[in-house]
This record gives sequence, C-alpha cells and structure tokens, in this order.
Amino acid sequence: MLYLASNSTVGKESRLNWPSILIDSLKRLNPYSLKSNMVMFVTEITFAIVLVMALDPTLIPIVSRAGERLFYSEVALILIITVWFSTLSDSIAEAQVHNTASSLRKMKEQMTAKRLKSSNRNNFDVVPSEQLRKGDIILIEHGDKVPIDSEVLEGIAMVDESLLTGESANVRKSVGSTLLGGSVVTTDSLVARVSVNPEETYVSKLINLVESSSRPKTPNEIALTILITGFTAIFTIIIVALLFLGVTLRLGIDLAVLIALYVCLLPTTIGALLPAIGISGINRMSVKRIIAKSGKAIEASGDTDALLLDKTGTITRGMRKAVKFVPLGNHTEREVGEAALLSSWDDDTPEGKSIVELAYNQGFVPQAFSSLDRSEFEEFSAATRRSSIKMSDTREFLLPKSGRGILQRKRLRRKYQPGEQQPDLEIVKGAPDAIIDYVKIKPANFDSVLEKISEDGATIMAVAEAGDVIGFIKLTDEVKPGVKEKIKALRDMDIEVVMVTGDQPLTAGVISKDVGIDDYIAKARPETKYEFVKEEQKHGKIVSMIGDGTNDAPALSAADVGLAMASGTEPAKEAANMVDLESNPSKIMDVVMLGKQILMTRGTVTTFSIANDIAKYFVIVPVMFAALPELGALNVLHLTPHVAVISALIYNALIIPVLIPLALRGTAFKPASTMTLFLKNVTIYGLGGIVLPFIAIKLIAILILIMGVKV
Amino acid sequence: MLTLEDLFVVAVVWGTVIVLSWFLSSYLLGVFTGRKSRLDRILVPVENFIYLLAGIDSSKNMGWKEYFKTLLYLNAGEAILAFFILMFQQSLPLNPMHYSGMSWSLALNTVLSFSSNTNLQHYNGELTLSYLSQMSAIQFLQFTSAATGLAVGVAVIRGFAGKARTIGNFYYDYVRSLTRVLLPLAFIATIILIFMGVPQALSGYPTVSTLQKGATEILYKGPVASLVSIMQLGTNGGGYFGANSAYPLQNPSQLSDLFEIGMMMFIPTSLLFLFGRMVGDNREGRTLFLAAYAIYGIDLLIAFLSTTVIGRGLEVRIGGVASTLWTVTTTAFTTGSLNASLSGFNPVVILTAFFGMLIQAAPGGVGVGAMYLIMYVIVTIFLVGLMAGRTPEYLGVKIEGSDVKLAVAAFLTHPIIILVPTVVAFAIGAESTVGLAANATGFTRIFYEFTSAAANNGSDYLGAAGNTVFFNVATGIVMWVGRFLPILFMLAIADGVSTRKRSQKQGLKTGSISFVVILVFSIFILTVLTFFPFLVLGPVLQFLQGMKLSIGGVIFGL
Amino acid sequence: MKGFRNLSTAARLTLISVVICGLLFPIIMTGIGQVAAPWQSNGSQVYYDGKSIGSDLISQDFSAPVFFHPRNDSASGVDPDITLTYALSQVPRIHNATGIPESFLNATLEKYTQYTMFFFGTKYVNVLNVNLYLMESFPSIYAPYVQ
Repeated sequence: MLYLASNSTVGKESRLNWPSILIDSLKRLNPYSLKSNMVMFVTEITFAIVLVMALDPTLIPIVSRAGERLFYSEVALILIITVWFSTLSDSIAEAQVHNTASSLRKMKEQMTAKRLKSSNRNNFDVVPSEQLRKGDIILIEHGDKVPIDSEVLEGIAMVDESLLTGESANVRKSVGSTLLGGSVVTTDSLVARVSVNPEETYVSKLINLVESSSRPKTPNEIALTILITGFTAIFTIIIVALLFLGVTLRLGIDLAVLIALYVCLLPTTIGALLPAIGISGINRMSVKRIIAKSGKAIEASGDTDALLLDKTGTITRGMRKAVKFVPLGNHTEREVGEAALLSSWDDDTPEGKSIVELAYNQGFVPQAFSSLDRSEFEEFSAATRRSSIKMSDTREFLLPKSGRGILQRKRLRRKYQPGEQQPDLEIVKGAPDAIIDYVKIKPANFDSVLEKISEDGATIMAVAEAGDVIGFIKLTDEVKPGVKEKIKALRDMDIEVVMVTGDQPLTAGVISKDVGIDDYIAKARPETKYEFVKEEQKHGKIVSMIGDGTNDAPALSAADVGLAMASGTEPAKEAANMVDLESNPSKIMDVVMLGKQILMTRGTVTTFSIANDIAKYFVIVPVMFAALPELGALNVLHLTPHVAVISALIYNALIIPVLIPLALRGTAFKPASTMTLFLKNVTIYGLGGIVLPFIAIKLIAILILIMGVKV
Repeated sequence: MLTLEDLFVVAVVWGTVIVLSWFLSSYLLGVFTGRKSRLDRILVPVENFIYLLAGIDSSKNMGWKEYFKTLLYLNAGEAILAFFILMFQQSLPLNPMHYSGMSWSLALNTVLSFSSNTNLQHYNGELTLSYLSQMSAIQFLQFTSAATGLAVGVAVIRGFAGKARTIGNFYYDYVRSLTRVLLPLAFIATIILIFMGVPQALSGYPTVSTLQKGATEILYKGPVASLVSIMQLGTNGGGYFGANSAYPLQNPSQLSDLFEIGMMMFIPTSLLFLFGRMVGDNREGRTLFLAAYAIYGIDLLIAFLSTTVIGRGLEVRIGGVASTLWTVTTTAFTTGSLNASLSGFNPVVILTAFFGMLIQAAPGGVGVGAMYLIMYVIVTIFLVGLMAGRTPEYLGVKIEGSDVKLAVAAFLTHPIIILVPTVVAFAIGAESTVGLAANATGFTRIFYEFTSAAANNGSDYLGAAGNTVFFNVATGIVMWVGRFLPILFMLAIADGVSTRKRSQKQGLKTGSISFVVILVFSIFILTVLTFFPFLVLGPVLQFLQGMKLSIGGVIFGL
Repeated sequence: MKGFRNLSTAARLTLISVVICGLLFPIIMTGIGQVAAPWQSNGSQVYYDGKSIGSDLISQDFSAPVFFHPRNDSASGVDPDITLTYALSQVPRIHNATGIPESFLNATLEKYTQYTMFFFGTKYVNVLNVNLYLMESFPSIYAPYVQ
C-alpha cells in the first residue's frame, strides 16, 4: 500500500526513546513554546477559561451554572489532552529526526582515509574521513576512493572522475592537481594534502541542518498557516457573536458548551499535525539518505513538471557490458572472443572486465592465456581510443600482481592450465574507426556489419589481431533494475521525463524508448542541462534534475530541485538543494514521489479537519440553546446535551493521535494522474471527513453510556 | 412539489438568458480588450471627449493600488454629489411635488447604499424623492456603481487571464462600461419596459378621481422605466417605488416580470462566460457558470419544493412561482429588488435567499459576482488542491501565501460585517426601534438586514421603518466596507497573478465537471461553516416553530 | 500633486457621469417614451367620458357592495388584480346588491380571466376592468355609485 516505504534503502532506525518523548511533549505544553502554533495556543487558553469555571462555577453566572462543576472539569481535561496530543506528535517527529541525523553521521564516518604519520608511505593510520583536518597528508593507493577534496603532493596516477564530472575517460593527476572527494584512483598511488575540513563540506552542514529545530516554514506551510488562521478567525467571530446573542436573546447558553463548540470547530487536527508532517517529511528524506537544504526543496520536488535524468548512472548502470562477439570475414566468433579476452585481461575498466567475463562464460579461453605475465598492456586513452596487448612468451602463467580484477582472475586460474608457447602477438581493441586508423586495412563488409549490429543503440568495439580486423565486440549499457517502473509511475503522474546523454541520437533513442521516456537530448554538451532547465522554466515548468560534476553546478542551481551526489564535487553540492549520501542518482524519482506525498498529506489532513466541522455543528448546536427546545429536530444523533458535548470533544481530541501515523508516514498513494489522485483523496478525506465523525461521535456517546461515565 | 409552471418559467427564463449572455460575453470581450468595432466611429470620439474633459490617460496600465484608489475616489465623489442632491432637493429643480430634503442619516444611508450597488432603501421613493433625486442621485449611482462593478469584474478576470499581464486601467473600464454596455443596454430595456406599461414621464403626480364616487388616487408617474432598466441590468435593485417591483407601475405584468428577472441575470451570467473567453479556455468559464448556476438552481429547487404561502404579500398577477423565482434570483444575483413582500414567504424560501446573499457568487452582482466566484475557487483550490500532491495552482499560476492571505481576508470580511453589527443591534436594543422583538422573527429580520447590506443586495424587511440613525449609519458602513474591501483584496490578488509565471501544464483540471462538483460542495460547506448557528437561530428556528404550529408536511433540508 | 490630480479627475468624471447617466439619459428616454408610447409612459390611464379614472395598473378603492373589491393586504398595497377564486366568492354579494344574474357575473369573470403564466398558472381578474364592464353593461344600476 505504501508506495514509498517499499524501496527504502536502509534498515531499521534505532528505536524511539519513549520516556524522553513523553517528557518533551509535556514540556511543550508551556504556552510560550506553543506560540508558533496558533490553534493549539488558543485551545490552551480555552482550557484555562474552563478550568477557572470548574474551580468556581459561580464566577460568571450568566453563562455558567453552579451544578456543573463535574462537567466543566471533564471539558477542561479533554481540552488539555487535546493540546497534549498535539505536542506529542511534534515530540515523536522530532525524536525520529534526531535518530536519523545520528545515523547519517555514522554513515558518513564509514569512509576511511590513510593518514600519513611521516613521509614514509608505509607509515599511516587508517582513520574515518570525518577525522581528517585541513592540511593532513593522506595516501591514496590504486583502487582507493579519494576521501576528501585534496591536492596532489607526490606521484602521478590516473583517476576516475566519471561519477563526478561525467567524463568517462580517466584523468591524469600529477603534483599540484586537485583531487575531488569521491573520485577513484585507478592506477598507481598518490600522496595528497587535505584542502578542506570535513565539517565544512556541504554534506556535513546539511546534516546539521536536518537536526536544527529552527526550520523555516515552507511556502506551502505558510499558506496553510494563513488558511488555518483564517478559519480560527472565522470561528472566533462566530463564537463571540453567539456568546453575545445568547445573552441578549436569552437563549440559555453555557460558556463551557460554547467553548467546546469553538474547539471542535477550530482546525485542531491539522493545527496539531502540521508541524509533524513537515518534520517527518524531512525525516523520510533522510531515511533514504537524502538530505535537503530546505523543506521548500522537498515541496518543489512534489511540483515537478519535468524531470531531467542522466542516462549514465541514473537510467543505466553506467557500465557498458559486453554482450556479443561478432566475427568478420572468415573469422569465427571464438577467435574474436579469445582475442577480446586477451586484450582485456589487464583492462580494469568495467567494459574490460565485462569482456573477460563474457568470453569466459562462453568458453572462449585462448591457449595463449599463460603468456599474459610477459605481456605489455597499453591502456585505453582518449587520444588513441584503443587499448592493446603485446605478448612475447606464453609458456607459463602467473598471477597478476594486483588490481581489482584479482579475485575473478584467481578463479580463472584454478580452472585453466598453462598452454604451450606461442609466437609474439599484438591484439588491439577500441573504437571501430580508431582501429581502422591503426591497422590501415578495412575489411570488405566492415561497414555493413557495423551498421547492422549498432542498430539497437549498442556501443561497438572492433578487435584486430596481428594487423587484421577480426570482428567486433558489442557492448550495451544495462538499464538499472526498477527504473522502468519508476519512470512509468512518474509519467502516470503527468511528469515529463527527459533523458540527457552524450551518446549518439540513435543510442539515446533506443534506450529512452526501452525505458519509456518521453524525450531525450543526445550528444549533450556540458551546458546542455543548464539550457534545458532554463528553456523548460520559461514555459513555467518546475524542473528537477540530478548532477554531480562541477559542470552541472549552473544547472543544479537553476533547477527548482537539484539533487547532487555526495560523491560529487563541492560546487555541485553547493549549487544543489539536496544531496544524496548514497550517490544513487535514480533516487531523484523517489524524491519527487516523497515531495508529492508530503503535500498530499497536508491536504488530506486539512480537508478532513474542516469537513469534520459539519458533524460537530450538528452534534452541538441543537443542544446548546436551553431556551430553544424546537432545535431538537436537528439533533440527528439524538444525544443529550452533556453527552453530545463530551463525545464531540473526545472525538476531536482522539482524532489527533489516530492520525499521527498518517502524518508521520504520509498519505498512501499509487502513482496516477494528478486529477485521479485528487478525486480519490477528495472522496476519502472530504466525504469521509463529513461522514466519519457522525459515526464516531455516536459510538463514543454509546460507549460513555455503556461505561456509565457520569457527565 | 415541482409543478409544470415552475419548470416552464425556469426553462424560459434560463434558456433565454443563457443564450443571450453567451453572445453578450463575446461582445464584452471586444469591449474590454479594445477590439475594433463598428461602434467605434460614434463612440471613440465620445470617449475621447470624456477622457479629455476629465484629464484621463486611458492607455496607462494601473497597479492594484492605483486601480483601487481611482475607483474609490470616483465612487466617493459620486456619492458626495448624490448626498447633496438628496439633502437639498427642495431647492433644486424637477421637484413638482415639493418634497423636502432627506435627513442627513437617511441621505448618507441612501448614497452609501446606491454607490455600493446595494440599494437598501429606508424610504419610499415615490413619497420622498423629487424627479431630480430619482434621476441624478438614484439612477445616476445605479449606472456608476454598475459600471464600477463591471470594471472590477473585468479587471479581476483580466488579471487572472494574464494575457494582458495587467489588470488594466480603471477609467478605461469604467467609461467603456457606461458607453458600450450599460447605456446601450439600458436604452433598449427602457423602451421595452415603456411598451410593457412602465411609465416614463416628468409631469408630476396627478390626483385622479377613480371610478367609485368620492374615491381618489395619486398616479405616481415619473421616469420609472429608465430607472428600472439600469436597476435590474446593473443588479442594483433599488426601485422607484417603496414597494419596488411589486408595485404595478414598475412591473405591470407577467411578461415584464420575467423580462426584469432576465435583465438582472444578464450581465453577471455573461461575465462568467467572459472569464472563459479572456482566459482562452471556455471550459474555465463553464466551470464558473456551472458552479454558480448549480448553487442558484439548488436554492431555487429548495424554494420551489417548500410550500410557498401565496396570498398575503404576493402580487396576484405575478403569482407564487414567479415571485419565488424573483426572490431567489434577486438574492442569488445580489440585486435586491423585490416583486413581493419578504414576509409573504415560507422561512425555507428566506433560507435560500440567505444562501444567495451569504455566498454572493451564485452568480452574484455585476462584476463582483465573478470576482467572488474566483475568490471561492482560490480558497477551494487551496483547501483541497493540496490533495493532488502538488502546490495548488489555478490557470497554471501557483497559489501563493499572499494570495491565500488576501482571499481569506476577502472571505472574512463578510462574516465580520454581518455578525458584528447584528450583535451590536441586539446589545443596544435597536430591534425595538424598528418594531421587532428579540425572538426568531426579530433575529431573522435584523440578521437579514445586515446580510443584505453586506452582500450589497438591498432587499430587506425593514423598508422605510429602518430609517433610524442606528440602522442608517450601521448599514451604511456595512455596505461600503462590504463593497470596497473585498474589491481591494481581489484586485491585489488579480494584479499579483497577472504577471506571474504560468505553467502550461495543469495538474488540477479546473475546467472539468468534477471540479465544478467540488467547487459547489466547497462553497456550500464554507458558507454553512461560517453561518450555520445564525441560520439556525433565524429562518431554521422560524421554520421549526412554524412546523410546530402545524404548517407541517415539509421536510427540512431537502 | 498626484493625489490632487486623482481627486480632480474623480470630480470631473463625476460631473460627466451625472450629466450623461443622471440627466441626459432619463430625459431622452422620457422624450422617446412620450412620443412612441404616450399611453404607457403616462401610467396606462383608463379614460371614461374623456376623463381619466386612474390607472389600469393601480387598484382603486371599491368599497360599495355593488363592485368587485380589491385585496387590502398586498405587497404593493395597490394590487389591481384579485384571484378568480376571490372574485367568485364576491359574486353572491354583488348579485344581492344589484340583482345582476350570477350567471352574467360568472361569465364576466370568465371573460376577464388571465393566467399568471400566460396560458396556465393561477387565474385572476383585473378589478377595475371587471367593474368598468359591469358599469357599462348596467349603467342605471351603477349610476349612483360612480363619479
């Protein structure tokens, strides 16, 4: 039923500390701390008035009666309980946020750094990245993640910044280069100096913000508060007018009954739960490891008209996987597969690893396998757009020295024995045109086969062995699991989903069609996202997007909702209004749903609260004028005056804790068009809000009579 | 029970009015968007001459503050002029009957009443006012207040439509309302009314010997037709005669009766269609039209289903059905003219009349009816629209805190200015000065008086009996506040909305029938929430007491 | 200065409006009415012997038993019509006072019957017209009672 809870990415939060929640909720009964919640403040004032009436029922003889002390005491008790239910919901929501914030801190500490104690590279402590200080010297070795923004002091290495900047080619870093926190060193190792304190990073500031109790109200909360204030004003006028008319027209009214009617009419339900709904919204974001700069951003995400998604990393895994070997001329698939495996053996890129895996899975394991240790591997470079391997001796097989592919290779080794010696061999693989440039000979059917196999948007590499192009490797990017469903849900909710990618239009078209996206922008340049955001906003659309690289920062800042990856650069995080600690770009779609849910929850509770008033009028008004027995005809529930008043008040108080779970969890909904959701909620909470209190108040009244409570 | 007569009357009147209003709305679109017209050859020189004389730059766009300020100054100026005419009519020409001037409080009440499009009358026109007063105070203010209302309605619609990115220029709207809408329509209507038997003369009130020996009667023939035309077209409602359109010279026949009902529905209905035309989506106009007419229709149905007491208080030639239709229509369109005495009706009919005035938008008066409907749309969209999971928006514009604040303020004005003076009236015992007791009937009538004043309706129970300093001053204040404060708030919203960014996507489809249903529900609920206890103490209690006294047979709350 | 300009514009536009709407319009309409439909414009007066005997639309004081009587409670107080039912209830009294056969009186009422809704609805008659018809039909009976 609850759409959002189903794909929560974290386990159970620690349990709530109930005793402290109770104490906190009681502390909040202090009128001074209620001042920001007008409805509850007013309710507490009415409690004070009725309390005085209970203490001395003869104080205001025109509108109170001496014999009613018990009744006044009961009314006063229910009134203060009403206020307490409200403070309780605040306390629970706050407690949840504190729990989440501390778990966020723990999560951040899980990233570790190798802090050097001396100039000796082997002399280091492994510390949580949180403990790093600006100026600390750290060691980052092959395969390590850069723990924090820093500057290279020693060494030269290739660094993968693809998740941060979108550049798929590894970047060469040498002395003086800046390292971005979250990037991965793929070769060699570096010594670097930390250039920022961890608590100064944007993410740390945001976590502190989550916990801060002084959250500014969001535009919607402000507007709703105005509406609630308006209703409070209307009901105040009504009650004061009734009080005067009751006296001047001698209608026989009792002030406590009038106050009971007043509090029943006041939008106490939404007044009590409004703060909790907002806090719990931030909390639910945080549980998903997304921290928002402000509640406003969460709200804006619910208003999203257009959602800009990166292809790589968001829709697809961002790892191209080899799926097929295609031979050329009289070569066989096996030959291509074996050559591909050899050429990819030392290739640590995801593509390289997937080629090895595919070849192995298909049984294309070459005899030349054992000569790999004396091979000479030339890595892929953006300039040549190819990688190659030269093997001189194939007599024995040794383990590669290190690298992330090591485990996989161990498994391979156990199964395959060294083969016999082979002559020197060079295998080159890479972009098809680059390979042709290299070998200079283009087979006859090269173009036709290439065109055919790239029709479905796949990426193609050509493989050449000893100067002869023997075939192609077909790689496709894998669509992330669940993405298709999420995109469908977004589109069901009238949100326009647009994919942006650097790929060729053909590839982009295939992927977007595959996952059901409306539109795509291919061959994107760094400024494309910004232009898109601006263009959409010109048409009055609310645009949400994700980004991580510095070149995304202008777009993130222009977008109404910008979600940055925690692994991204500091400028990107500064520009965005939300950060995902898990750096999972697909979560932008959850953010949109959550934003909607928060708005919807406010709406449903407000409508329900106001709709309830009809029943309360019908319960109390017919019995409140002792001098007008004719009004009994309107007493549809047939309740005696005291029972009617007490039952209505009890209902009014009880509905608050009953709805606390709804306020904290959010209104359940299934993705559907705005109008469908609207009509469904109007029916449940609008019509339901009119009907339910009639039934509930009658049941409470019956219970009061059965239990023999004296009223 | 609904009779064939009920259905016939409603079908004829509604059908004719709706069709003609649709055409009028197209004409109004041209008038207020400055589209070229064949009338320009005659009217442009006239309008330019007016602009020249008054020193007006009609092309300058105004912000809401300036629009409101110019509007208020002009209405104040007109009220002041009328005030002096009323007070000193004995020294002014066109007073063949030698009536003396009004007392200050009655003159004050009268000008505040007519300049606010209310037309509450604490006097009998034919016994109190000179021809000049009827023409240059009463009829004059009926034209100008209708022109002001029309200008405001158009300005608010223009702001929401957003195409012009402004609410416009008050002088332009006001002058064109007069030259191109009200004067031409009143011209045609006056001629039709004259042929139907409504007098148009300036030769004094002759006393004639009637048929039976020794009996005489005064024939009150004056410039009645020209006044009745604008009083109905402009949803003013203040008649030439104290008995208003119950008086046969103001409403001679069934035909004139239906014609006058149609007249008061004409412009407010066409403004609802104009909304759709200006927005550029007729479905949006349809929403306002259907919501307004649904509420009006529900009121009518309740009134028809309750037993109408025919006889005392009703005019024979008009009959119960047309009288009920008139009473519901005159309150639904906040006109306030009457063709029967309110005391002749079942309390249930009075209850529906209350609904018309408390809602003010079903469909309400000229210009302001559409304005109030838009206010309800905003409150409704904000109240329930969040449930769609988006920030509520109307016509692609996000509804902001400031809009909610202003719409709530406009909404709040009504209960405050009705309830506060009602309470004060009973607190100081003012009910006894107009011959009422502190009981259900007394409460209904005082509550009705202030409701009618606040809604700028003008129908009332008190009539000339209400001519006391308290009621003159109290209702005078209520009428002006009830008129101009909501206008101020709604102009501010419209001006803000006019320049705001618009989304082409629409989450909440306000043009849909389901939204109409929700809007109608919401308007009823908002009204019931605000006034339930008072309606219970007034007409509902009267009804229940009456039922006890044996009328019986009617089920409340149909 | 700007505030003064607004006030001056308001004052001038007030005067222009009153001249157009409060003087020219009603006076022009009076002229047109007096020319195009003088009878209606002057109150739909009924003439007898060349002399006005009041308006067709205003009830008259008929108190003598020989006449049909108007209502004396009415919203306007000058309702010229009575329901057919009420008129029929007066037939025996007039018959007794004048000797005019009830059948004639009933036929007269039928002749003058109108409907509140053109051709259906409540039936009613115009008191003046009925009385005038009776008077013209039986001048000798009515002579003592009329002017």
